[in-house]
Formats: sequence, C-alpha cells, structure tokens
Amino acid sequence: MDTLLSGQMLFAALVSGSLYALVALGLNLVYGTLRLLNIAHGDLVMIGAYTAFWMISLFAVPPIISLVVAAALCALLGWAVYVGLFRRMLAKPELAKRVEANSLILFYGISVILQNLAALAFTSTSRGYQYLDTVITWQGVSMTGNRLLTLGIAAAICFGTILFLRFHLFGWGLRAVIQRREAAQVVGVNLNRVQLLTICGGFAVAGVAGVLVSMTEQITPFMGFPFTIVAFVVIIIGGLGNIGAGVLAGFCLGLVETYGIALTSPGYRSILIYGLFVGVLLIRPEGIFTKAVRS
Amino acid sequence: MAFLDIKGVSKRFGGLMALSDVDMQVEKGEIFGLMGANGAGKTTLFSVIAGHVAPTTGEVVFDGQRLTGLSPSRVCRLGLCRTFQIVRPFAGLSVAENLRVAALYGSGRKLTSTEVAAVVDDALEAVDLTDRRDLDGGQLTLSGQKRLEIARALATGARLVMLDEVMAGLNPTEISAMLTTLERLRTERGLTFVIVEHVIGALMTLSDRILVLDHGERIAFGTPEEIGNHDRVAEVYFG
Amino acid sequence: MKNIGLILGVALAVVAAAVPAFGTPYMMGVVFQVAMWIALAQSWSMLSATTGYLSLGHAVFYGVGAYVCVLLTGTIPFEWALLAGAVAAAVFAAIVGLPVLRVRGPYFVILTYGLSELVRHVVMRIESALGSFGRMIFDVPRTEVLMWWMVGLAVLATLGAYAIRHSRFGAGLAAIREDEVAAETVGVPVTRLKLFAFIASAIIPGAVGGLALLRTSYFEPAQAFDPVISFTIVTMALVGGTETVRGPILGALGFALLSELLWSSLPQLYMIVLGLTLIIFILFVPRGLSGLFGRLGRAG
Repeated sequence: MDTLLSGQMLFAALVSGSLYALVALGLNLVYGTLRLLNIAHGDLVMIGAYTAFWMISLFAVPPIISLVVAAALCALLGWAVYVGLFRRMLAKPELAKRVEANSLILFYGISVILQNLAALAFTSTSRGYQYLDTVITWQGVSMTGNRLLTLGIAAAICFGTILFLRFHLFGWGLRAVIQRREAAQVVGVNLNRVQLLTICGGFAVAGVAGVLVSMTEQITPFMGFPFTIVAFVVIIIGGLGNIGAGVLAGFCLGLVETYGIALTSPGYRSILIYGLFVGVLLIRPEGIFTKAVRS
Repeated sequence: MAFLDIKGVSKRFGGLMALSDVDMQVEKGEIFGLMGANGAGKTTLFSVIAGHVAPTTGEVVFDGQRLTGLSPSRVCRLGLCRTFQIVRPFAGLSVAENLRVAALYGSGRKLTSTEVAAVVDDALEAVDLTDRRDLDGGQLTLSGQKRLEIARALATGARLVMLDEVMAGLNPTEISAMLTTLERLRTERGLTFVIVEHVIGALMTLSDRILVLDHGERIAFGTPEEIGNHDRVAEVYFG
Repeated sequence: MKNIGLILGVALAVVAAAVPAFGTPYMMGVVFQVAMWIALAQSWSMLSATTGYLSLGHAVFYGVGAYVCVLLTGTIPFEWALLAGAVAAAVFAAIVGLPVLRVRGPYFVILTYGLSELVRHVVMRIESALGSFGRMIFDVPRTEVLMWWMVGLAVLATLGAYAIRHSRFGAGLAAIREDEVAAETVGVPVTRLKLFAFIASAIIPGAVGGLALLRTSYFEPAQAFDPVISFTIVTMALVGGTETVRGPILGALGFALLSELLWSSLPQLYMIVLGLTLIIFILFVPRGLSGLFGRLGRAG
C-alpha cells in the first residue's frame, strides 16, 4: 500500500501519462481536421525512436537534437500523405468516397508496410541506448534525467498546443475546422492550409514522442502499434477532435495504467488497454465526454 | 375506430418538447395532410409512427394493432411504410433490386419468386419507372429517386404510406406529374396516405383533411378550405 | 457466367483431389494453404462483402476454434473437435455480435481488431497462468486427411457464400450495406440479419483454426490469434474483389502462391507486398481482380 501512495508511483504515472497525451494529441489533431483515423500513427512513434537511436549511435547526436530531426522527418511524411493522397482525393470525389469507406484498412496497410520496412532495414532485434540515466533523488522520489525530460517536453508540447489553439489566430482557424468544417471555409479559413499544417504537425508530434520513448524503452519495428491503440483509447475517452480533453484523458490513462498494473501484475497491461479500448468503443464510439461535433 | 389512431403522443428531446399531446385520426382511403413550419414536429411525428423513435408518452394504433415499441421493420411488415425527406435509395442496387428487397421483406410473409417479380413490375409501373429498372438507384434524378421511394413503399405491400416532402426540390412539371400519380394510387389501389409537404398548393389540392402543428402542438384541423381560412394558421404559417 | 465462382471452386476441388495421387507432401501443404485462405476469405465475405461491415478481426474466430480444438483433442476424435471449434466460434460471435454490430464504419473496423487482440491477450494470460507456454499435440491425422478436410471447408465456404448472395437473406444484407435506415424501413430486420451474417462468417473460420492447429501440431495463443491472419484475409478478399464469389478465390490463390515464394525466405518483404497491393487495389482497382477480369472478358 505504501508503494501505491508514494511519489514514485505518481511520477511514473505522470511520465507515461504525458507520453500518452502527446501521442494522442497528434492523432486527435489529424482526426479533427481531416476526419482520418490514422491507424499508422504509432508507427510514426517507431520512426521517431529509430531516428534517435541511429543519430546517437552513428553520429553521437543526443536525443535532444534528434527531437528536431524526427519532427522534421515525420512532418515530411505528413506532407507526402497529404499531397499524395488527400489532394488527389479532393480532386476526385469518387476516389474520396472509396478512401473514406476503406480509410482504416488503407492506413493499416501503410502501417504494415512501415513496420516491415523497418524490420527489413534494421532487423527485428530490439535496440536501446543510454542517455541521462543517472538517478536523481528528490524528496525521496528517485527519477532519471531522461524521464524528467520526457515529462517536461511532453507536457510542454501538450499545454503549448492547447494555449496555441486558444490564443493564436491560426489555432482559432483550426478549432473552427474541427467544429464546423463548412462554416469555417465560409468565414475565410483556408481549409487546405489548415489541413496540411495540421497533418504535418500531428505527425511531427508523434515523431517527437518516439524520440522521448526511445530514451527509456526498447526500440523495435513493431513497437508502434500499442501506441496507436493507447492513443485511440485516449482520444475516444476525451472526445474525438476535442484537444484539451484528450490531453487530460492521456494523463488519466497513465494513472489508471500505472496503478492498475501495480495492483495486479504487468501481464495485465495489454488486457487492460485493449479492454478499455473495446469498452469505450462499445459504449460510445463518438467519444464519451464530447458533445456532438459532427453535424 | 380510425385506420391510424394517434393518441396523446408526446416526445421530449432533452429540454425540448418536439411533440406535445398530439391526437390524430386517419381514415382508410384518405389523403391526410400534415402542415407546419420547420421544427413544428412533423418529421418527429413520422418517426414516432414508423417506429424510428419511441414516444415519451402516448400510443400509436394502426388497423387495430398497437405500434408503439415495435421496430420500423415490424411496423413495415404490418403494412405501414414511410419515405424520407432526404431520399435514401439503395444507391448501389438497381431500381428493380431496390424494389425486390422491399417485396421480399416488406410483406411479412414469404413470396414466391414469381410473386416478387410481379410486385416489382407492378410498383415500377405505378410510378412510371419501368424504363429505368436497370439503372442504379443512385443514378436516378432527384425526381426519379422520389418516385423510387414511393415505389419501394408500394412494393412492401403497405396499405398506409407516409410521404415526407416528396415534392420538395421538384420543378412544376414534376410536381403535377407526382400529383397525378398519387391521386391515381389512391383511387386505383385504395391506399391511404399521410403527407407532409412544404409545397402548400400541392398539399391543399391533394389532402382530404389537414392537421397543422406548431412547436409540437396541434393548432388546427379541418378540410383544406377550413385550414385556408383559419386565423391562427395564417398567423403562424403564412406570417 | 454467373456460376463461374462455383465452377472455379469445383475445379479447384478436383485439382486438389488429384494432387495426393501424384503429389508430394509439399504439394499437399500448398493445397492446404490455398484451401485455407479460400475458406477464410469466403467466410469473411459472408459478413463484410455483403453488409460492408469490414472485419479486421477474423483471427479471433480462427483462434477460438484452434483453442477449443487443442483443449479437446485427445479426448474426442478430431472430427468432433473441429466441429466443437466451429460451434465455439459461432457461439462467441453470437455473444459479442449484438453490441459489436451497433458500431459502424471505421469504428467497426478498429473495434473488431481490438476485440481480437483483447481475446488474444486474455488467452495468453490464461495459458501462462496455467503454466503452459504452448501445447504440443500428438497423434495428428495424416497431411492428406487434413488437406481433404480443408478442401472440403473451402468448397463449403464457397457454396455458403454463393448461397447467401443469391438468397433473400443476401438481398437483405445488400440493402443493409447500401442504407441501414432505409432497409429497416422497408421491413428488413436489420439487427437480426447482421447478427446472422456475423455468426455465419464465424463458423468455418472456427473449424479452419482447428485444422491449421492439427497441421502444425502446436498451439501458441500469440500465433493462433495473430492479427496478420485478419489482415491477410481482408487483403485477399479486397484484392480478389468483393462483388463476386470468385473474388476471394482469386485473391487467395494469388497471395498463397506469393506466400510460397516469399514467406519462408523473406517474410517482411511478403508483408510489404501484401500492404502495397492492398493500397493499390483500394485506390485504383476497387472492384478487385474479379472486376478486372470481368471487364476484360466483356471487352474481349
């Protein structure tokens, strides 16, 4: 019982919660503006993680710099998906209809390709590296520098995004697109530009999350999918397209998971996550806390 | 007892009373008009009767059978079918297949394939779609799709058909053709219709009796003439 | 022309039947694989091609069948164990069907995926709690016998898919695919038909899972519920074409051959090709191989 109430547990919960919030933030942005449930989202986390790993092992570049590289790489991927797929779809309504119906299967295909490309290029061996892993003790709570860094950066990006959406003009446009796509266009929001920047941003955030994950966890080609599932749980609980509630839900899930596992055993982690996933989808696929966003 | 008897039906959506204590009796073989501004509760009333929405209070009795609580498919198999204001054809199926599904499932009993084919041909004939039977439902013009909606309701073997704005979006020629079709269906087949229509001229011409709703409440009831001269209706409806 | 799927199916069965006469165990293995994917893809099409509810979780029925079968082999003859596997898959579908089928579109796709993964992890947990990390089976029937059974299931699934498409039931399912609300309005009992289709599409995969288990004579939950199975089924069916009964057969044939070429040596490359083909077909050949051949046939 003592361990449960310790600062140690809370810290662990906050770290994983902040990561979940960050991964889900990217997925949620992309869903909100493009109405795309990107099931390959977690694979961007994997790409970010490998970027950090190769940067540090080949060029001795620290992850803190890889953050930028991974973000740029994933943003580029986002750009490619947007220009290669969505522009085309907008031009051909018949294609749009087909892709909409099969979008999940289509992106699952992309996910399979990314995972196996990574496995082909980097082998399935799990990788890892050491960075800022000396233990610091503060107020009886032991933590490592990399976990503190994870919490700091993830939380900063999440709350920064929320503030940006609230106070910057572009953020207003983005929120307008999420809530009322057609109306936003009527009042002069450049839908194309908002969507392009959001998909790049959303993908970049996932890449950043990948770099953060790589500092503390094993890197494998198939590490991404669980993050996709977690992100889905988070945004469905928080409400699809509801950015702020999603961040909150991410932290909640971190708490539930950390304490849930502490009370049972690590073997139950996947059951807990998939159980929540199936549960929330069955209860309310459009989101539990959300008001009807779609008209 | 009336063919379709709606007794004290109310429907509340959250804080909004979409229908309050509506009574309505439709007699066999008549064309019964429902009138009201947007949001007056006409479509909600249709949804309640057809079983898409359960009423908060009250009940619906059709031909001696209580409909309240039944699913739309049960209601249809009992002989009451509706159309949709925003048409919902089976877009990827041919016009004939659209009707075949209705014939196969709508009557509530197993038909032989010859019977099904006869029902389909008959429904096509009734709305003048015979020459377009092999087109996909989605390929028809709006007017064609509205006709398909009616044909599909006919193919279910419905004795009472509820038409939700079948004239909306049609041009004057198409409207007059539709009027002829509906008149013919009533006289030749003895069908009963409940219609909601924004094209007031058409509603006045077709209906035997009209019920006017406003904010979910019944404000007037009578023949088209009586409704035309009704003060409250004029005030609410014609502004 | 309309019966080409049946003809193709029967022809395949005949070829398969001829194989053991001059075939090597390797050939029998290939026939087993092809027949397995045909059986799975046809079963999938009973739900997903007819109603448009795309299941990305059919591995769950395969896995449930395999699991029940492994628990029962040794106690009863294997034929009965297979039957039990099929029944268990159907019962599972009947239990989860109603809530799952309320969820639509892309949500249904991820839900079926998640459900399959959930069951996989639960079974893994149960097995490791029992202290078993895999179960060996002894006394499995000869390869030839297993192949015959699988060919039988492929033919059965093809006949079943054909029968559904050309029945009143199939007409109702097509209406559901086009517009659920309109279908309900013209008397189609939507909920019931969807549930029946879901159950129908689960039965044969249950037996297939059991057979595949007997063939490998080894059960491991992570493999029996492998999501790659679900993904392969969907890819084969979509690439083959969902509009006709021969579609899944064409898709299964194509990929089974590709898998023979690549799977053992370069599994990752095989998966990449699978993914790429799927994407290309969704984007550019929505009617699949079957539609492609159909068009060529009509043009020629």
